[in-house]
Amino acid sequence: MSSKSAFQTATGDSLPADISCRWPLFVLLSGAVFWLLAGSILTLIGTIKFHAPDFLAEPAWLTYGRVRPAGLNAMIYGFCLPSALGLTLWLLARLGRTTLAGAIPVVFGGLLWHLGVGAGVVGVLSGDATGFEHLEFPSYAVAMIAASYLVLGVAGVLTFRQRAERGLFVTQWFLLAAIFWFPWIYSTATILTSVYPVRGMAQAVVGWWFSANLILVWFGLVGLGIVFYLLPRLLDRELESHYLAMFVFWMLILFGTWTGIPKTAPVPAWIPMMSKVTTVLAGLALLGAALILHRTLGADYRLLSTDPSLMFAGFAVASFVIAGFMGIAEVLSGASSMLHLSWYATARSWLQLYGFFAMALFAGIYYVWPQLTGRPFPLPRLVRLHFWLAASGVMLAVIPLAVGGIVQDGNHANPEMAFVDVAKGTLTFLRISSIGDVLTLAGHFLLALNVLLAIGAFCWDRVRIALRTATIELQEQGVNS
Amino acid sequence: MNYGPLVFLAAFAALAASWFGFVLTPHLQIGHLQQTNTVPSGVSYPVARSGLAQQGLQVYRANGCAYCHSQQVAQTGTLFDLVLTNPGTNQASTVAAIQSINPRLSQPEVLEIIGKVPVHLLTMVSKSTAEAAAKTVNATGANAVPWIVPIGPDIQRGWGSRRTVAEDFLFDYPVLPGSQRIGPDLSNVGVRQPDPGWHLRHLYAPASVVPGSTMPPYPFLFEKKKVGRVPSPSALPLSGIATVEDGYEVIPKPEALALAEYLVSLQAYAPLFNAPLSVALGKPTSPTETNSISISGGDKAPSDISMP
Amino acid sequence: MSSGMRATGTRDTVVAEPKASRAPVPVWLFFLLFVLLFWAMYEFDRRGGWFHSQVYTPYRSLAELQRYQPATGGISLERGKVVYETVCALCHNTDGSGKPNQAPPLSGADWVVGSPDRLIRIPLAGLTGPIEVKGQTWNLAMPAMGAALSDDDLAAVLTYMRSAWGNQAEAITPDQVAAVRAALAGRMQPYTAAELQAIP
Repeated sequence: MSSKSAFQTATGDSLPADISCRWPLFVLLSGAVFWLLAGSILTLIGTIKFHAPDFLAEPAWLTYGRVRPAGLNAMIYGFCLPSALGLTLWLLARLGRTTLAGAIPVVFGGLLWHLGVGAGVVGVLSGDATGFEHLEFPSYAVAMIAASYLVLGVAGVLTFRQRAERGLFVTQWFLLAAIFWFPWIYSTATILTSVYPVRGMAQAVVGWWFSANLILVWFGLVGLGIVFYLLPRLLDRELESHYLAMFVFWMLILFGTWTGIPKTAPVPAWIPMMSKVTTVLAGLALLGAALILHRTLGADYRLLSTDPSLMFAGFAVASFVIAGFMGIAEVLSGASSMLHLSWYATARSWLQLYGFFAMALFAGIYYVWPQLTGRPFPLPRLVRLHFWLAASGVMLAVIPLAVGGIVQDGNHANPEMAFVDVAKGTLTFLRISSIGDVLTLAGHFLLALNVLLAIGAFCWDRVRIALRTATIELQEQGVNS
Repeated sequence: MNYGPLVFLAAFAALAASWFGFVLTPHLQIGHLQQTNTVPSGVSYPVARSGLAQQGLQVYRANGCAYCHSQQVAQTGTLFDLVLTNPGTNQASTVAAIQSINPRLSQPEVLEIIGKVPVHLLTMVSKSTAEAAAKTVNATGANAVPWIVPIGPDIQRGWGSRRTVAEDFLFDYPVLPGSQRIGPDLSNVGVRQPDPGWHLRHLYAPASVVPGSTMPPYPFLFEKKKVGRVPSPSALPLSGIATVEDGYEVIPKPEALALAEYLVSLQAYAPLFNAPLSVALGKPTSPTETNSISISGGDKAPSDISMP
Repeated sequence: MSSGMRATGTRDTVVAEPKASRAPVPVWLFFLLFVLLFWAMYEFDRRGGWFHSQVYTPYRSLAELQRYQPATGGISLERGKVVYETVCALCHNTDGSGKPNQAPPLSGADWVVGSPDRLIRIPLAGLTGPIEVKGQTWNLAMPAMGAALSDDDLAAVLTYMRSAWGNQAEAITPDQVAAVRAALAGRMQPYTAAELQAIP
């Protein structure tokens, strides 16, 4: 079977929704790809320090405790959020049979967002990190990002309001809830940890609450929203089914929003206990998502290989489910297990962040971009190669880390084993996982190359058309005179 | 019928519920904590860290120490020792009672240990066992008290004598409990390593004080310079693999001194109502001492618990 | 191929955005939801501490936590230090070195590390007139600073004095304090050094 969609769809005529989204999405997505590269390079520098602790030890700004949060935040705020928001705006315009409201403000909003991320990454590297995980950006960067979100979020709501198609598709539910939930959690967390910090341990509880709501709930809503659009779109069939998708939606926002407080958190027992039971309950959302994929494909998983975007989307759903069950195993592990403080937890959150969310975003970007430009990506073979690099990279990063974390936890539970030996016991796994990091980075270069060439080709097209028009006009003028 | 607005409202309520539950309620509970008192001594806890240590917390934050080090000691349960504090006067029946609760002790052993009160007669037994045994021993006119011993892998590892609670972080900003144990837990690193000089040498060249350490060095917290007419008194006494070439010395920058002071201030072992434990009269049980209590049975010498 | 074809060309008019079927959610998912909800409530009830702010894992309820508190009524040097610093240190100095013309030293003083019965009487009733401490004669008056302290606190502070600053003497128990307090039978008059010497 040949590729159905992304490379054959667009040959010139674009919908009004696509045209209105063009420049806003160029800004949001190309900036996102830049931060994807920057983030994965910073992460890789952090990883190399496990091979050689003395590597780049001298400059303060390259110490592990700075490059790691800088890399992760570049990934989350630089890549994930702007591309998620860009795809959200496009989906709301497309599904509402309308155009993007406030396209020009969104262009500037996107620029401001990426400037804010730049300020944040530089701030973290220079030692201004707040210390709260996933909220490390210092206040000056947060101010820019929040102002930018105001523009993007309002544009999203206005686009939804002016829709011509009144019937709602499930994706719109997911995306609207996400548009609404992000400013709530982000402002709450920023205000209570940085602007008017609450006292003592309450800060950390707010931080954990934010992290879980961003990584599980927000990523879940947007990522599944995108996948639930792409599956029926690219398979040319109905999503199975509306009610199942709404079931996933409810399980996520009813239970997912209460997860994330680790069991050893120095807080009263009810808080981690609540997180434990809701993590298990949120497992129903995983089952629901898996069922939707399975039923929409009609159990024929080979269909996924018909389009690279489907491959990314299928991988994303699988990661979402596996990462979720890894989380359930983590909370249900025995009282003396410290999996949540081991590499296992890193593996799980990377699977959720990258294996699920970034892969869903790649699926979206590879599908949406050609719709915007009206022409396929210049190097279509690289898209499939990117998938294989990303997929093998994720697996090579996650599986060794998860196994290493389980080994680490087992060794840790044995007080006879010196801690230095526990730490050393994880090094082999860490080293294998950095091969995975290199593969994903290579994939990012392929994406960047395609995006760069696509923008170039698009601009060249415009120039050519403009030139031709001008020539024709000149000729006509010549004839007329 | 249009359910749209209704569903929207329900979704709003679902999201708001988590905000009330996990932001507002914890803020009302934990955010309004006050200084408390240790139990039973009634000493105020915690006391604010020194100004230098607070600066050190900022160095800890800026350099992301919390990405490798947690500050949360887990406690999986609570067991009891039985401690004899007064052998009484009726020696024969006391010895018999002690042998009845711990048959592994021979009569000469019992005679030997009851001369050295306070002494642990039983270790790591359940609450009911300890209380029943106390009753048996006390019936002879001796005095034995159940001794609270928090347990868990972290505690056995010597990372703390009890679990970490919210009070331990009361005056800190930001609060950095960490999420990873690439390095050891630091809740009580100030008890394990009370010497700031050790921390300075460790920060400069980790492997020189902890062989095999995987921690990266932090040379940017120090200044390496030519020795002046007289060597600086604050220069690090380096040895082994960390020596610098002749004529040079390594001076800690103010950030390093602050960080070391903060690390020394990390001592979260006070016995509190919400994290009870028994401590030896006179000196607080340090985590390492707790660690030395063996699980093997009641035949343990009372080396670390004694009246001053 | 149809989606590809439809997506090209005449998309302006014909574009078909995805639809979702109306197939119901499988019943077993709801069944599982109720089972898990039941488990969640059971688990929370068992170990959640019912929202109490003082109950931390591994304790499961306030009642259980209260049963796990250390025996009270004992003496502790930490407590003794606190009492010393609030009641005694103003005159005797925080390091027990005393202050000229205010109070004699306590560190290394025979009066402190010697007979418990003498020592307990000093804070309970006070001391007046000349007294020799570490080879120096002091002639001052000390009020009954300890009369208002509980037996536990007085025992704690005296034990602290007898173990701090290089002093090494056995602890004083609340029982001993209580016995002396009873023996004094409400005596309000301060002791003199000579009177104390008469006590074993």
